[in-house]
Amino acid sequence: MTVTHAQGSTTIPATPEKVVVFDLGVLTTLDELGVPVAGVPVAENLPDKLAKYAGDGYTKVGSLFEPDYEKVNSLEPDLIVVAGRSSAAYPELSKIAPTVDLSVDNTKFLASFRERTEALGTIFGKQTEVERRLDAIDTAAAGVKAKAGDRTGLIVLTTGGKISAHGAGGRFGVIHDTLGVKPAAEGLSTDTHGQAVSAEFIAKTDPDLLYVVDRDSAIGENGAAAKQVLDNALVNGTKAAKNGKIVYLDPFTWYLAPAALSSVDGMVKAVGDSLS
Amino acid sequence: MTRRPLSGRLRAWHLVAGTALLAVLAAGSLFVGVSDLTPAGLLAGRPEEVRTLVESRLPRLLAILLAGTAMSVAGLVMMHLTGNRFVSPSTAGTTESATFGVLVATLFAGGEAVIVKMVTAVAFALLGTFFFMAILRRLTFRDMILVPLAGIMFGGVVGAATTFVAYRADLLQSLGAWTAGDFSGVLRGRYELLWIAGAVTVLGYLYADRFTVAGLGRGFAVNLGVRYDRVVNTGLVLAAAITAVVVVTVGEVPFVSLIVPNLVTLALGDNLRHALPATALTGALFVLLCDIAGRIIRFPYEIPVSTVLGVVGAAAFLALLLGGGKRMGLR
Repeated sequence: MTVTHAQGSTTIPATPEKVVVFDLGVLTTLDELGVPVAGVPVAENLPDKLAKYAGDGYTKVGSLFEPDYEKVNSLEPDLIVVAGRSSAAYPELSKIAPTVDLSVDNTKFLASFRERTEALGTIFGKQTEVERRLDAIDTAAAGVKAKAGDRTGLIVLTTGGKISAHGAGGRFGVIHDTLGVKPAAEGLSTDTHGQAVSAEFIAKTDPDLLYVVDRDSAIGENGAAAKQVLDNALVNGTKAAKNGKIVYLDPFTWYLAPAALSSVDGMVKAVGDSLS
Repeated sequence: MTRRPLSGRLRAWHLVAGTALLAVLAAGSLFVGVSDLTPAGLLAGRPEEVRTLVESRLPRLLAILLAGTAMSVAGLVMMHLTGNRFVSPSTAGTTESATFGVLVATLFAGGEAVIVKMVTAVAFALLGTFFFMAILRRLTFRDMILVPLAGIMFGGVVGAATTFVAYRADLLQSLGAWTAGDFSGVLRGRYELLWIAGAVTVLGYLYADRFTVAGLGRGFAVNLGVRYDRVVNTGLVLAAAITAVVVVTVGEVPFVSLIVPNLVTLALGDNLRHALPATALTGALFVLLCDIAGRIIRFPYEIPVSTVLGVVGAAAFLALLLGGGKRMGLR
């Protein structure tokens, strides 16, 4: 069977048995579909439902960014899946075994996510379940979009005490692009690391909703946690703070594994809840 | 390291003009930023503008002045104590060691207060600096260029170790976020540790004469009745402490400690007590100008001051080497 993906198309065996996955989003989806995997990246701070993958039962094939090629080779996999952080390793990995890059295009997140997840469903014969869940997500997303109204939102990521803002078309852009919350600031860079901003920028933008991704807690550091960074007179003066609409987004869902069935489900729900 | 100093009157005139320029720029910088803040609004006493001033603009200005002053004075002191005008915290491994200290503190005491990070950073900065001094004592050829080269290499080794540890601990991106010197996160309650650097800088001024004598060499200093080792150690402790405090609160501010002291001594001569106030003033001016530029270039976003300093500093350093090299006894 031939699969079209972000870096071309790859012919893979009809039912791949030994699968190596480098992306936590794909891993989450496969886990939910009940598809077994053989190799996973080293990852700390996995949520409870994925904690088993940190154990010895799974070969550790490198980091989220960098494969351990020898380990991958020794596993002799039938299929390797990369996405996002690991997509740069595609050329090397495809020399070892059939490899697909299931990176999601952030500028059309939901459509792209559907395409990638349908590919997974086809590969592992889980089309019906995938379709059912994707349709449910679409319905829920349409409902949230109808609720959004004129409200404006700003998405910030905090790391090591510094703040960066992320806009439409960016890695958290689904909030604006799909779920209909109006961007409180125009022209934010869609760069992976966003746009460095100050607390004054948040005060000036004065969004109705402030969405916060705490990178430090995503990677298990509790250094300058987001709450501490954002607790200052300038941010506290915004409409979002006054109305209790500073929304701390789940770091695993939004930062580590955004392109997973349950993650997108959770994203739609989180934004929906923030609008009620 | 001798050169003809300017006359006393000229020096005083320079200081007054410099202070006036700094005052004007400092006042101007208060009105550069994302939120609306205008002199008229302040006079009218609009509460949100007063809040922006008190919470954000004033703290930022103070942080800039303190960091600029302290780093350039640290550079001047190290330059004197080593008798080499290219030795500064950034060319003797001090900055890199302080950064390593911050990383170690984060790994082993992640949630602890800032003060733990600072104490660890000071300890590491001291260790690194004294290690460099030990290397320096063993160097047979104390060439003007060789000494800082050895320091830069030592700093490179410490930096590599830091990167390795951060890589293994999955903290590379966080390391990048801490080390990039940046005043955009400065708010009331977030910069006050820099006053420690300010206090240490004042101590440096009180010790200035002894540093000058120590800079003439051990034999000369001992003959004049100065406790050479104690003075040198005091100076290194001051410089390391200043560097560590600045690294912990705002990150690395490159080139300031190297360029500013050189520019000032080039103009004013080597007497430390004379050069110190001018160095402090120029350091503050230099960092303030770069920060204002960083705030304006991509308004309403910011370019970190370390990036601006890197560009301006590298150019200034090259100009110093090429243009001032002769006068500095290099060619």
